[in-house]
Amino acid sequence: MKALRFAKDLYVGEQVDAAVKVYGRFGTLELAEDEDAWIVTVDAQTDARTRRLAGELANYALGLTIRQHRGEGAS
Amino acid sequence: MSERLFGAMTPETFDARQPAFFRFRQLPMAPDKVVLSNLEGRWLVLDRPDFLAFAQGQVSEGTPLFQKLRERNFLRAYYDVPAATEMVRARHEFVGAGPNLHILVLTLRCNTTCVYCHASRANMDQVDTDMTVEIAEKSVDFILQSTNPAVTIEFQGGEPLVRFDLLQHVVRYANERNEAIGKEIDFTLVTNLSLMDEEKLDWLIENRVQICTSVDGPQDVHDKQRKLPKASAHGEAVKWIGRINERYEELGLDQTLYHVEALVTTTRPILDRWKELVDLYVDLGCRALFLRPLDPFGFADKTKRLIEYPRADYVTYYRNAVDYMIELNKGGVEILERYAAIFLTKILSGVDPNFLDIRQPSGAGIGQLAYSYDGKIFTCDEGRMLHEMGDDTFEIGHVMTSKYRDVVGHEAVRAVVIASQLDGQPDCVHCPYQPYCGIPPVHSHRIQGTLLGRMRESSLCAVHKGIQDYLFEKLASGDEETLRVLEKWTTIRPRDHFVQ
Amino acid sequence: MSEPLEATPHAFVRADREDGSVSFVVDESVYPLEAIYGATFTFLDRCFVFLGREGEGQVRVVLSAKKLPIADDELRGWVGELANELLACAWRGRILEQNRATIEAVTSQAIGGAMGPPSLDELEDFDFSEEPFEDPLGIAMSWEEKYGKKDKSQGGETEGT
Repeated sequence: MKALRFAKDLYVGEQVDAAVKVYGRFGTLELAEDEDAWIVTVDAQTDARTRRLAGELANYALGLTIRQHRGEGAS
Repeated sequence: MSERLFGAMTPETFDARQPAFFRFRQLPMAPDKVVLSNLEGRWLVLDRPDFLAFAQGQVSEGTPLFQKLRERNFLRAYYDVPAATEMVRARHEFVGAGPNLHILVLTLRCNTTCVYCHASRANMDQVDTDMTVEIAEKSVDFILQSTNPAVTIEFQGGEPLVRFDLLQHVVRYANERNEAIGKEIDFTLVTNLSLMDEEKLDWLIENRVQICTSVDGPQDVHDKQRKLPKASAHGEAVKWIGRINERYEELGLDQTLYHVEALVTTTRPILDRWKELVDLYVDLGCRALFLRPLDPFGFADKTKRLIEYPRADYVTYYRNAVDYMIELNKGGVEILERYAAIFLTKILSGVDPNFLDIRQPSGAGIGQLAYSYDGKIFTCDEGRMLHEMGDDTFEIGHVMTSKYRDVVGHEAVRAVVIASQLDGQPDCVHCPYQPYCGIPPVHSHRIQGTLLGRMRESSLCAVHKGIQDYLFEKLASGDEETLRVLEKWTTIRPRDHFVQ
Repeated sequence: MSEPLEATPHAFVRADREDGSVSFVVDESVYPLEAIYGATFTFLDRCFVFLGREGEGQVRVVLSAKKLPIADDELRGWVGELANELLACAWRGRILEQNRATIEAVTSQAIGGAMGPPSLDELEDFDFSEEPFEDPLGIAMSWEEKYGKKDKSQGGETEGT
């Protein structure tokens, strides 16, 4: 199991959600929220798969966040 | 040096001696000399004390240096805005002209195996990598929609002579379709020459298809890099270069304009053999030698341990080779180095020869397009090469389904245009060579994972800076004979094509 | 376990060899968030990238290997490249801001010139209703709206030419 803490001022919440939707079918993803962050707990069949799933999810969320951020900056 | 300079330039005092905007660089091999250029690309090479006096606004009025600075538009009080505007415009005349160079990959099949093959060739039995007649015709239809009144169709591969029948069809079809459109069309064939015969040559000459090839050095080097089964690739290339040039002569064509264009892909084994290389090109009757470094595309990425080299070694090789070429020219031999010709044309004449890889914005998408055998369209041939390596960043459409305006207005084209403007590039904004330079974003993308690139670490920037350092050293040398040779290299001849 | 990585600045860089990752603390007052986004984006194809809030004005960038094991040299290479890319992005951001007008003018001329005018067929296909019409220069505004007399009570300065 691995918990990813997506800081609210660094990641866009909708994009973290979008990443969770895309990668949900590869393992168990649980969402929680506190004042500063969205927390996604990642679990898969093995530690190696959990690590990879968490990594891919994080990359996807960051990629989408940056894309949205740039789009807003450009308009 | 820079700290003292900027310290001395404040507080602001506006008098006739104050400099206008300028960029500067100490020449690494001649540290007592400083190159400076201004916004519009006028330049001077000053001795260090003169440069410091200029930068500190302390050159006395009435001195020859003051006069020179004024004439070249380096003084704020005398800054000639209309003249500067006109020069900037002339340097960017190509902007807005639309795609001129259209690279058509007739097949990926090739009978030669090159250790660095940038095109990711296919074996001779892989006929599924041949372009169909329908895709070829659709490609031509697409090309003729270009906003540029002049287009060059460049046949590439694989080895395009494998599909000579298709090449002939494209030339006929393009000429026929163009009758109603009226563009100026040129055709160029990039070939290893090993499948050439007299009949094909007759046809190519009759249809004014310019022929370009590669010679990577003396026979042992060439044949080691470019393997042709059961024959010497070097022998074939040399034989046909001689024969083609002979035919041009028989037809009474001007030898300075009509000759086989050949280029060298510089690999490690040739670095120390620059003299043999130059002599070989002279003996072959070539009037130009393009000393291109290795590109990071195709098989070159896999074989780099064997053939790559530090770019400082390349610059040494370049300096040695061009020094020798200048000496040969002084003795009456006509041979120019293509990189030098491109940069010198920009530096000395103030116009841009529109070499698509060294201009800003870069030519990808807006100056050239590449059409793969399967109809996919790319911003440039290197973008197509990356596609063969599994990276589709530069794929922008398909000849069967895409509209012309959607392709050239594609977001990848826009990104490349923005990324290739050096006014937005750290390092370049302060480099005196900025008005003459250009870096294709596809190269930075491949090497550094970003279209924008980091020039201090870019191997291509190292090459461009090294070459321009050398050229400015020569220009500053004051040797009249050398200057005459370099000046001659800038002459733009109407028949000239730059091989991409 | 997180520990220093040789030949990198220990105050900012920690490595976790078991996890195959290296982390780098970035000061936002030196490298704006836009630069952090820009720099980390270039790593997405070769590592897993995660951003975490370290403290006020500080971001921890974590780069993890996609394949284990990974050598220290490679981790060091990432740190160096990230540092260089951060600097390039931060500086580029400022340059682009200064030269935005030139770059936009050249880009629009280059793309517009290459595209040419739309054909009648393309105009027919164009969906004018998709986006609200933006009018930053006020071309569609009436003369009164655009240049109408200002209320003197609003004050305002007179610009000389």
